[in-house]
Amino acid sequence: MQLKINAKDLASGIFLVLVALVGLYLNQDHSLGTARRMGPGYMPMMVFYIQAGLGALVIFFSLFSGPDPLEKWTKMDWGSLALGIAAGTLAWKLSPSVWGFFGQTYNAVGLGITVGFLVMAISAGWKLLAIICAAVALFGLILEKGGFFAALTAVILVSCVAEHTHTKKGVAGLLVFLLVLCWWVFIYELDIRVNLWPQS
Amino acid sequence: MELLLTNLAHGFGVALSLQNISFALLGALIGTAIGVLPGIGPVATISLLLPITFGLPATTAIIMLAGIFYGAQYGGSTTAILLNLPGEVSSVVTTLEGYKMARNGRAGAALATAALGSFFAGSIATILVAASGPLLTQVALSFGPADYFSLMLLGLIIACVLAQGSIIKAVGMVVLGVALGLVGTDVQTGQQRFTFGIPELSDGIGFVPIAMGMFGIAEIVLNLERPESRSVLSSKVGSLWLTKDEFKRATPAVLRGTVVGSFLGILPGGGASLAAFGSYMMERKMSKGRHMFGQGAIEGVAGPEAANNAAAQTSFIPLLTLGIPSNAVMALMVGALIIQGIQPGPRMVEAQPDLFWGLIASMWIGNLMLLVINLPMIGMWVKLLQVPYRFLYPSILVFCCIGVYSLNNNVFDVYMTVLFTVFGYMCNKLKLEPAPLLIGFVLGPMMEEHLRRAMLLSRGDWSVFIQRPISATMLGIAATALALMLLPNIRKGKDKALAE
Amino acid sequence: MFGKLTRRHALMAAAAFGPTPALAQAWPVQPIRLIVPFAPGGTTDLIARLVATPLQERLGQPIIIENRPGAGATVGSLMAAQAAPDGYTLVLSNIASHGISPTLYPNIRYDAVRDFSHIALLTLNPSVFVANPRAGISNMADFARVHRASPRGLDMASSGAGSSNHLLIVRMGQILGREINHIPFRGAGPAMTAVIGGQVPLMSDSLPSAASHIRQGSVRAIAMSSAERHPSFPDVPTLREQGYDLVTSSWFGLSGPARLPQPVVERLSREVRAILAMPEIRARFAEIGGTAGEFSPEEYSNFVSSEVASWATLVRESGAQPD
Repeated sequence: MQLKINAKDLASGIFLVLVALVGLYLNQDHSLGTARRMGPGYMPMMVFYIQAGLGALVIFFSLFSGPDPLEKWTKMDWGSLALGIAAGTLAWKLSPSVWGFFGQTYNAVGLGITVGFLVMAISAGWKLLAIICAAVALFGLILEKGGFFAALTAVILVSCVAEHTHTKKGVAGLLVFLLVLCWWVFIYELDIRVNLWPQS
Repeated sequence: MELLLTNLAHGFGVALSLQNISFALLGALIGTAIGVLPGIGPVATISLLLPITFGLPATTAIIMLAGIFYGAQYGGSTTAILLNLPGEVSSVVTTLEGYKMARNGRAGAALATAALGSFFAGSIATILVAASGPLLTQVALSFGPADYFSLMLLGLIIACVLAQGSIIKAVGMVVLGVALGLVGTDVQTGQQRFTFGIPELSDGIGFVPIAMGMFGIAEIVLNLERPESRSVLSSKVGSLWLTKDEFKRATPAVLRGTVVGSFLGILPGGGASLAAFGSYMMERKMSKGRHMFGQGAIEGVAGPEAANNAAAQTSFIPLLTLGIPSNAVMALMVGALIIQGIQPGPRMVEAQPDLFWGLIASMWIGNLMLLVINLPMIGMWVKLLQVPYRFLYPSILVFCCIGVYSLNNNVFDVYMTVLFTVFGYMCNKLKLEPAPLLIGFVLGPMMEEHLRRAMLLSRGDWSVFIQRPISATMLGIAATALALMLLPNIRKGKDKALAE
Repeated sequence: MFGKLTRRHALMAAAAFGPTPALAQAWPVQPIRLIVPFAPGGTTDLIARLVATPLQERLGQPIIIENRPGAGATVGSLMAAQAAPDGYTLVLSNIASHGISPTLYPNIRYDAVRDFSHIALLTLNPSVFVANPRAGISNMADFARVHRASPRGLDMASSGAGSSNHLLIVRMGQILGREINHIPFRGAGPAMTAVIGGQVPLMSDSLPSAASHIRQGSVRAIAMSSAERHPSFPDVPTLREQGYDLVTSSWFGLSGPARLPQPVVERLSREVRAILAMPEIRARFAEIGGTAGEFSPEEYSNFVSSEVASWATLVRESGAQPD
């Protein structure tokens, strides 16, 4: 009998075990209590032990149920991931000292996410995921200061980069259509509470 | 019986006044519209519209709010089927077979099944509410914390059936979902768990950011990655109506779903959230089309949709007979009634017969209206799929963004959605399924609450779970279900191992 | 659709006047945001809406209610504390956010007294002990007897850990010399279901959420935590009458960020007190078991600080788990 490793299951199992271990570590802050009066840590303890056990089982079975390899990561993928994380973290940590706006609420986090994903987008493997995520993060970043329309424009334009069949005319048409539609649905009809235009 | 008919006739007299019927229609329309929009749920809408109802007579106000409630229930399944966007737990189940059906070019049939199944189930459940509401309340009241715990455990085990692939990985995802549900303030002690000092997390991670990220947006990325699969989405549309065979397969599923949903809906401790996938499990194990599950089985849409709508109707029972709301929407309705100077509760039947019977009649009318609104719209919805994907995906993205933000008017939720998009993408690559995770996430906190309460009441004696007959029965079913699920899996694993 | 009727007009008005700083004399010239730090549908939300409706008529500007629940009502209250003190952001202050949470949550980022301009007390209502009619407990003497005699002691439900009702249970146990087995629920509704269903024999509840169940006879009221008998429930004796010196009430008020312009505070105080004197409002409050407040801004502010102090003692004595 020969080991046929199911890499997907192996990775899944390792992921489950890791999360469980982190959970158990964090759970040390919470008192367990007794079975009668369970403390805040009782249920997490049970849940993470079960999860670790299941993860171990998944790892065990993954050794025989393959082969089912993961998609290959190129050097570019690794590099851009590392760069993206570095750039994102830097942007997150440094931006508040550059502009006070980033010191408020979660703006620095939003900038970090956006920058990180935009950097990751240089490698082909991450491009689509990174562009879509950056578009969503950009929405959060712009909405409160730049207003509803600016945020929507950003999401639409950035997300359109993900698809090569777009034409300039098509994107422009889509932009106008969606801006009008969203205004009508969310502002005129549903009246959600949000700034429409940039705030001074 | 005769009395019931007289009462119902009285109710229809009330509900069919021009004003009431137009507000019922308005409610159903608003409900459908917000149900279709991701993120904007009935709770937000009803709380927005609450001030307007002050000016209306109580009966009209409540009829309109009820219309929004079941309109939203129905609208949610439309996006689940068409775009893999579940707005709430029940529609997570609908995405499983419904979205597959849409990809097979049967979006029209899936939508029609959802509409017809919901209408049928709603009608039966309405009669049930009218005929035996008080009796059913007694059933609901006999459920103690231990019984709810066992019911939730059964639910979690059933959730593993949602998995298309490995059972063990699915159980792992359910448990991971329960773990995510632990984030937030501990109900019993008020302590913050796993919140990392972030105030937005003190009420837990939101359901919508997880669902939008792992289902809706991750699906966009995956669709963009495989250009070939989305052309299928837009080119094959097929007949809008059900084929004879589909109709034959859907009918028994709807009947079973109605029974399951009606029962679970009356349990105020979280029963209604089990309705849809309880029915899904039943269909997957019992229906004739069980071998087609995972590839777009119509039973997997018909049963859960019926169950969900039946539960939506019967969840009014605790409100009408006890004056106790069983979910956030009901809580808002109690608020609306109290502002009108009406105390909901057992005496409402005698004190406000117009309101009570009018509401019941309007439930049925509301369901009929949903059918009338939605059947003709199926063609339009299906056309939506023919929009080239390069125009469709930015639109979905924009609606998701606004929807997620408007939940709490907080950009924090937007960033959470990004996080769960990445996680959902990763799960897809690792063949980890998101549906069991979401169900674990929803049921986990309820389960913990009931467990701890049961143990407090039993003074730390675990045997309470087998001493109470309801709880023992649930645990028995759970154990059997688990054994049935694991046996073939282990045997298969063994065979595989031996063969090699 | 109908959503736009109130709110769009509000927004249009806001747009018309724009960000120009409103002069205090002209206040209000744009819609006012009232933050309710609890979910829609609860008692707090209900009281906010009952008062906001006549208040917006009197002020001539719409009042937009924003529900910002979370973390013992501290999330919404923090927002209000940090808002500009221009009179366009107000908050429904209450016993949780401005009485108990300041002690219960050590990481709280506002001072319940100093970071707010307290304007008016809207309503006060007592807690009430209710029992399942089949539990055989109809007064505090029964309560004490059964609690001491039964081998396991009594179970008592509340709407949640850290609520005033919970603290009352802990205090009661201390007085009786034996801990009462407190069963916390997520909100008053589920707790009441458990009491009606007989899963838990007793509950400590706020009068507004218990009132209808007491009237309907689905539960029996055994004691009220007010100083005097409640006018809507003259048959229910107080705790004090039955020999337990415990007087508590939950309360709801109107506050804004610190340093609100004096004219704004005065105008609001005047209008709210006029509203609270309206017979319809008094009747509504009485229905849900509350008494309308009559405090001036100073009185309310002093009241809040005395509440913070007295709940701090109770929280510490009870050892209720905070953080």
